[in-house]
Amino acid sequence: MTTLLSDTWFVAQRELIKFFRGKIRVVITLIQPVIWLGLMGNMMRGLTNNPMAAQAFGTGNYLTFMTPGIILMTVLFGGVFGGVSIVWDRRIGYLEKLLAAPIHRGAIPFGKTLAMMIQGAIQVIAIMVIATLMGVRFASGFGGILYILFLAMLFSGILSSLTLSLAASIKTMETLMAIVNLLTLPLMFTSNALFPTSVMPSWLAAIARINPVTYAVGPIRELTISGWHWDKILPGTLVVFGLVVVFMLGSQVVFGHATTE
Amino acid sequence: MSKAIEVKDLTKVYHGGVRAVNGISFDVEEGEIFGFLGPNGAGKSTTIKVLIGLLNPTAGDLHINGVDIRRHPAEIKRATGYAAQETAIDDRLTGQENITLQGHFYHLSRQEIQTRSAEVLNLFDLYSRRNDLTETYSGGMLKRLDIAEALIHRPRILFLDEPTLGLDVQTRQVIWGYIERLRRQQGMTIFLTTHYMEEADALCDRVAIIDHGEIKALDAPAALKAGLGGDLIRVQLAGLDGSAESVVAGIRTIPQVHEVESDGNGRYRIIVREDGEKVIPKLFSICNDVGVRIETVSLKTPTLDDVYLHFTGRQIREAEESQETHVRSRFARRRARR
Repeated sequence: MTTLLSDTWFVAQRELIKFFRGKIRVVITLIQPVIWLGLMGNMMRGLTNNPMAAQAFGTGNYLTFMTPGIILMTVLFGGVFGGVSIVWDRRIGYLEKLLAAPIHRGAIPFGKTLAMMIQGAIQVIAIMVIATLMGVRFASGFGGILYILFLAMLFSGILSSLTLSLAASIKTMETLMAIVNLLTLPLMFTSNALFPTSVMPSWLAAIARINPVTYAVGPIRELTISGWHWDKILPGTLVVFGLVVVFMLGSQVVFGHATTE
Repeated sequence: MSKAIEVKDLTKVYHGGVRAVNGISFDVEEGEIFGFLGPNGAGKSTTIKVLIGLLNPTAGDLHINGVDIRRHPAEIKRATGYAAQETAIDDRLTGQENITLQGHFYHLSRQEIQTRSAEVLNLFDLYSRRNDLTETYSGGMLKRLDIAEALIHRPRILFLDEPTLGLDVQTRQVIWGYIERLRRQQGMTIFLTTHYMEEADALCDRVAIIDHGEIKALDAPAALKAGLGGDLIRVQLAGLDGSAESVVAGIRTIPQVHEVESDGNGRYRIIVREDGEKVIPKLFSICNDVGVRIETVSLKTPTLDDVYLHFTGRQIREAEESQETHVRSRFARRRARR
């Protein structure tokens, strides 16, 4: 068990060293939320001036409504790189090197996922700082901010584990990226990340209600806009938690199977 | 000497049904440099991957340092080092970062990693470049780093899969020097695969010739070559005029000479058991004594190429430039450009 933990950490460490070394990547990570919040927030500001719409959004400030959506979008699009890094490692032979070492085999998918979760957390912190500077106030305070961070990391873990499982059987980067795009964009736009389900056409709202992104956005938005209402926070938390357990264990099984010949 | 590696009736059939290794048996002595020589797809890499636990054998008894590899895979991994055919170095990390991570993957302490990485980086003359990103390294440096990494946990047996594939001639010889030094200074057992004849000849104490998953011959390079019948000398004589018989009789008195054949036009093929170069001066003095002129003379020593041809019926060069090698080198070039 302790080897699993330490091995996981060293697999993750490799990714993190590279993440911080890519200075441009870190800068982009920070600029991205500014663009999203600044651009989208301003474009949509007119919406919440309408009192009816403001009621649907739950806040008179569209930025406050949108910040949870941007948080989720960031970890959704970022988490998928867990699978990409495995495809790359297989190509350069690094995966074989890891498998030849006496490390716990499960540490490979776990470590990749942990790295994605930490990178996601850094991005989410950046978004929250920038949102605060733009006037967004988190209703649930500092505790709520930590809770949001925790949920966002778990969601990143779901995406990373999912793409890691896909990468076990998909050996080319191009195919994997195509599948990832096919998956993430609809997931994003059929959720309540950018628009409340109450203003969606009924068919879209029906899809949104079973979309895991909606479940993750729910508690985050609740904590951002109104505060600690556990009846609204708990269901989404449980779904996210359940999914992360299922997908992480799934990645273990799929990865273990794919690397045994 | 005790056995470092014992392989008995190893067979490996992949899920797809490809029979990569077909019932091979061999032993490697401790402290020996043992080579697997054969073209791509002969089963060399598969054998290594089974021995270090990357692949499960379909059948066979396999022992490393007397330990059953199927029963104690973790112990085998700690006792062996492995440098794959593809140099698996993360080019976005420095040499030191690459080797430190490798140390952690072998569960060494921070202290051990520090002292040993300095030791192996020095051994491979990479210490001064340790803090540079490996994307700035040359192909030879990457290979050296890869082998250095395989030594971080002080294995007793080192497995090198095509250690000089794709390297230029000078770099290849430099790598050979390092490999020889490991054996000389540390008494390490080294198992390597290659499809370069010169490499097997220069490095290996014993060579197994492998083709289509089977061992066709196994012996010291010199013995394999001797098995072909020795050196061949061709001479063209002039001014024989009836003294041909006495010349041939004279040649036959040279102790190393095994056989003399003539085509009747003054051309002779002389098969010599050994030391062909010492026989040639004797030929000159014999011909001189009877007043016969030697117009041309040539000496051909058998190479492992000939041995390979003899045992497999084809030349290794045909198979060497396979699609796989081609694709891999193209990929390596693309990486180098980035």
